[in-house]
Amino acid sequence: MLDTKSTGSKIRNTVIHIIVIGLGLACLLPMINIVAISFSGSAAVSANRVGLLPVDFTALAYKRIIEDSQFWRSFRISVIRVALTLVLNLVITVPMAYAMTRSKGDFPARNIYMNLLIFAMLFNGGMIPTYIVVKNLNLLNSIWALILPGAVPVFSVILLMNFFKGVPKALEEAAIIDGASQFQVLLQIMVPCAKPSIATVSLFSIVGSWNDFFGGLIYMQRVEDYPIMTYIQSLNIDLQELVKNAANSAALENVAELSNRNLNAAKIVVAVIPLLIIYPFLQRYLISGLVMGSVKE
Amino acid sequence: MRKTFLKKAAAVTLAMSTVLSMTACGGSDSGSTKKESAPAAAPGERDTVTITMGRQTTANPKFPEGDNYEDNAYIRMVEQELNVDIVDQFEANNGDDYNRQVSLALSAGSLPDIMKVASKDELTELYENELIADLTDVYENYASDYIKSIYDSFDGRALADVTYDGRLMAIPATASDAGPGMFWVRSDWADTLGLTIDADGDRCITLDEVKEITQAFIDGNPEKVSKMVGMSFDPSLTATSSDNANMINTIAYTLGAYPRHWYENENGEIVYGSTTDEMKQALSLVRDWYQEGIIDEQLGTRTWDDITSLLVNGECGVLFGSWHVADWLLNNVYTLNNKAEFEPYVVVNSEGKVNCTHYKATGEYVVVSAAFEHPEIAIQILNLIYDDMVNSAELLEKYPEVDSYLREGVDGTARPYNIEVKSSTYLLSEYQELKAALDGDAAKEDISSAEERTNYDAIKAYEGGNGEVTGWCKIHSRCKGVDMLTYLNDNDMYHWITPIYPQTTTTMKTNWANLQTLEAESFIKIVTGTDDLDESFNTFVSSWKSQGGDTIASEIKEQTGKQ
Amino acid sequence: MKKTKSSIKSTRTRNSLQYHAMVFPGMVFLILFGYLPMFGLIMAFQDFIPAKGLFGSQFVGFKHFAYMFTLPDIGRVIRNTLIIALGKIILGMLLSIAFSILLNEIRLKFLKKTVQTIVYLPHFLSWVVLAAVAMNLFNIDGSVNQILASIGLEKINFLGSNNVFRKLLIGTDVWKEFGYNSVVYLAAITGIDAGLHEAAAIDGASWWKRVWHITIPGMLPIILLMTAMNLTSVLNAGFDQIYNLYSPIVYEVSDVLDTYIYRIGLVGRQYSFGAAVGLCRSIVALIMLVSANKITEKLTNQRIY
Repeated sequence: MLDTKSTGSKIRNTVIHIIVIGLGLACLLPMINIVAISFSGSAAVSANRVGLLPVDFTALAYKRIIEDSQFWRSFRISVIRVALTLVLNLVITVPMAYAMTRSKGDFPARNIYMNLLIFAMLFNGGMIPTYIVVKNLNLLNSIWALILPGAVPVFSVILLMNFFKGVPKALEEAAIIDGASQFQVLLQIMVPCAKPSIATVSLFSIVGSWNDFFGGLIYMQRVEDYPIMTYIQSLNIDLQELVKNAANSAALENVAELSNRNLNAAKIVVAVIPLLIIYPFLQRYLISGLVMGSVKE
Repeated sequence: MRKTFLKKAAAVTLAMSTVLSMTACGGSDSGSTKKESAPAAAPGERDTVTITMGRQTTANPKFPEGDNYEDNAYIRMVEQELNVDIVDQFEANNGDDYNRQVSLALSAGSLPDIMKVASKDELTELYENELIADLTDVYENYASDYIKSIYDSFDGRALADVTYDGRLMAIPATASDAGPGMFWVRSDWADTLGLTIDADGDRCITLDEVKEITQAFIDGNPEKVSKMVGMSFDPSLTATSSDNANMINTIAYTLGAYPRHWYENENGEIVYGSTTDEMKQALSLVRDWYQEGIIDEQLGTRTWDDITSLLVNGECGVLFGSWHVADWLLNNVYTLNNKAEFEPYVVVNSEGKVNCTHYKATGEYVVVSAAFEHPEIAIQILNLIYDDMVNSAELLEKYPEVDSYLREGVDGTARPYNIEVKSSTYLLSEYQELKAALDGDAAKEDISSAEERTNYDAIKAYEGGNGEVTGWCKIHSRCKGVDMLTYLNDNDMYHWITPIYPQTTTTMKTNWANLQTLEAESFIKIVTGTDDLDESFNTFVSSWKSQGGDTIASEIKEQTGKQ
Repeated sequence: MKKTKSSIKSTRTRNSLQYHAMVFPGMVFLILFGYLPMFGLIMAFQDFIPAKGLFGSQFVGFKHFAYMFTLPDIGRVIRNTLIIALGKIILGMLLSIAFSILLNEIRLKFLKKTVQTIVYLPHFLSWVVLAAVAMNLFNIDGSVNQILASIGLEKINFLGSNNVFRKLLIGTDVWKEFGYNSVVYLAAITGIDAGLHEAAAIDGASWWKRVWHITIPGMLPIILLMTAMNLTSVLNAGFDQIYNLYSPIVYEVSDVLDTYIYRIGLVGRQYSFGAAVGLCRSIVALIMLVSANKITEKLTNQRIY
């Protein structure tokens, strides 16, 4: 805009537009492709003839999803998981972050806790020991196994802590003079002020628990209990292992049915819809959250 | 406030107890060589026993509406007959998923009462860790004569495999020899193209003919698809049994290479088949075919279902596979194209014989947890499913739903144990009975196995023109597949190799997985690559040897010397 | 005077108790699922036998660590980890920075918003989903190869070639994250004093010159910060992505520490060995993070944590 409208700047502007639009398309087209596959006939899909538009348009795959009870069971498990994780994360991280904003004088143990938090973020016992703990708490096959191990997202604590620090001290002091307890300060002053950052950590929590597949793989001992992403992941597996190991029993009928690509594509599309619904919020808050998060302690 | 505090206090206590139980996990179970003291009470007299099980399942099983792995006709029959309650501790598909579940259960020291174990290594590990029950006495006291006769038909090989220090530690699955991997050809295509295969009618062809047939199909393109693929293989290329589908085993065997097998060569040395000169020749041939376009250019990335869809879509008309490949793979082809017909041929070596390896008599096991108080139930289940269900018409009358399961061919994985327990020659003898009945020399009722009776019906119905896929499958697997095995047997056409199936040695424990990976990766690279063949293969052999292969060979030698 | 002091003290104690209460629930979970499992790392120094538990298993010292370094696999795995992670970091940052500079030049509000909305999206999707998308695109008969074929190029076996697969991993990861990562850079650009640009323009500086001499130096602190942050994840080549995309044929170029630990230590039941590799990985990561934090503090007066 500052530029004089020379030919050079016009060319430059055009090139920039082309590049930016190109990058945008690069992100968009693969998604359109998968949607197109989900609406195409299976013959066209196996022949790889589907580009950006459905070939032999059919909604059959979606019809079959509606009848697929396992898909919906997994879907429901994921919805419940996301809701419970969200509540738990907030109940834990908000007070914790607030306590972490206190000075050493106010809260002598503050640095010990902070170090414990950070060490736990950087270091862990690994898959097997964590599994043993979860198992000994009798959480296997329970939705809590997908929730409790991730109850304390340390990064969210830090993010909230940084935000709380930005809340003017005067507000807090006024409340304390009025006789408010620290809990009241937290709930009545901090939380309302920190709405945007709470929204941010909420969305972290939602996206993270919706997208996780590995927890289900480890802690769920049967397919019926899989959350949605674990279920979808199990569809992507190679069948060759399966067939190879079972070739002796004559029980391997309908192998092809498992590799129904348009059906799998439709499952993917449906599994992504919840994220698309909250996407406007995601965009708004996660971006502000990310910018905030990079300004640290 | 106080209330939540109490809750938290409870949580801490819980945490502490977790620490304790983790450090001592499974410790209480480990005094395990339990002796059967008093004979156990008959099922009716004792309380219902709850059994937790680890079940190996298959993806996409076909259950009647409402049934599942934990609750189906077989399970209901077992529960009622034996007064037990079966609860699945975990269910997982065979392969990675199942191994992961077993590994996790094992790591936490919480084995189910009864579970399937898919490898000898795992069995040995369970035994060494004293986690599984000694079944010697319960087998002796409870196993039916029929069951015992099945195991005895393997000349002790089956039971020896699960015997440690003289004690029987598992129920072994049996694996009868399945013969060679046959070359299945779309015979309807051959007719369309006017192609004569096996002109002398001896059901045997050579590797050259394999190539010619494949080439003829590529050139002929009978279904006018956009692109023909000659033949394709699984990325691992070789497998541990002679007849695995979609492998290059048959090619290698014909050239005298026995990949993934240990055996004594003519000089009395113990060799690993994948590292022999013959293997190099086999790889060289496959590589030539690959470069000539006889073999799929996408070799290495084709998943199993990709290959299936090639066959289904008419892009490929040949494959190597066992006698039963029609039952579970070729059926897909017929389902979508009921003109499809396959004919099996065996590939012979330069002396006109069919090279084949004896199966390991067993390879899968059912184990009972050392902590389980009723190990005899494991044997009773064995009797019920593998003896009574096969031999007792009354039982099937009592449980019509089980009968209909058998008739409709509901997935065998639905049975409480996903294993087979059948005598070593059951294939041939069952087929004899079936054939006699089909030929009209005997009545259907004379067929002793329920499965073959079902096959009889399916085949008769298909011949009557019902066009059902089941009948088509059974004609292919029995009247073509097993018939071929009978033919080979009767005409003494086999050149048998008896491989050594070693116990896992010390070095194998640590290095075997890596060596297997090395092998699979090297082979696929050799075949699809452009590097010098001799050099690549020699590199593979020397790294294989230096990374533990040589040590393992000498350990096996020691092992066999001792035995 | 004395009275006030003690009342301050008692307020402090009361407050302090409240703070402990606030931290408490989180700490319970942290101890249960964070710290308790760390005791399990003892198994790295044992021949861990589950039945015998951690106290019953025999201690073998550094046996598994020593064995690790004799395995040819481990070198390959570390090399893959570093190449893939560094590739993702470097290319990812370059593209994000470039994209944010270019996007900043777009004056059409609508276009800018739309593009932003689209490029941020992949970040929010699971690799489970994106792996399926990528496999559809990059399999040998997939759309990408059809495009290549239609313009007369040879097809590329993206998913099964040891020459290409690593590039595919890096490329798809950069694709997934560049949009979202550009957010911080865009914020930094917005923060640059517009007066500088105006002055430079009046002096006749070309666009390139201004980008080079004003925009990039203005972004430098944030670039340094992000570099330091990203380098801490250099041992984290992306388990979810690789696990969902790889196959044995490309293990050679794509097996990274996390996938290796999973396959050997979990599926392969070599618990102790898996724990040993995992422990090494964690320690190195910890050292790197601490040093990155120190460096960042020196360079930018900010800390990563």
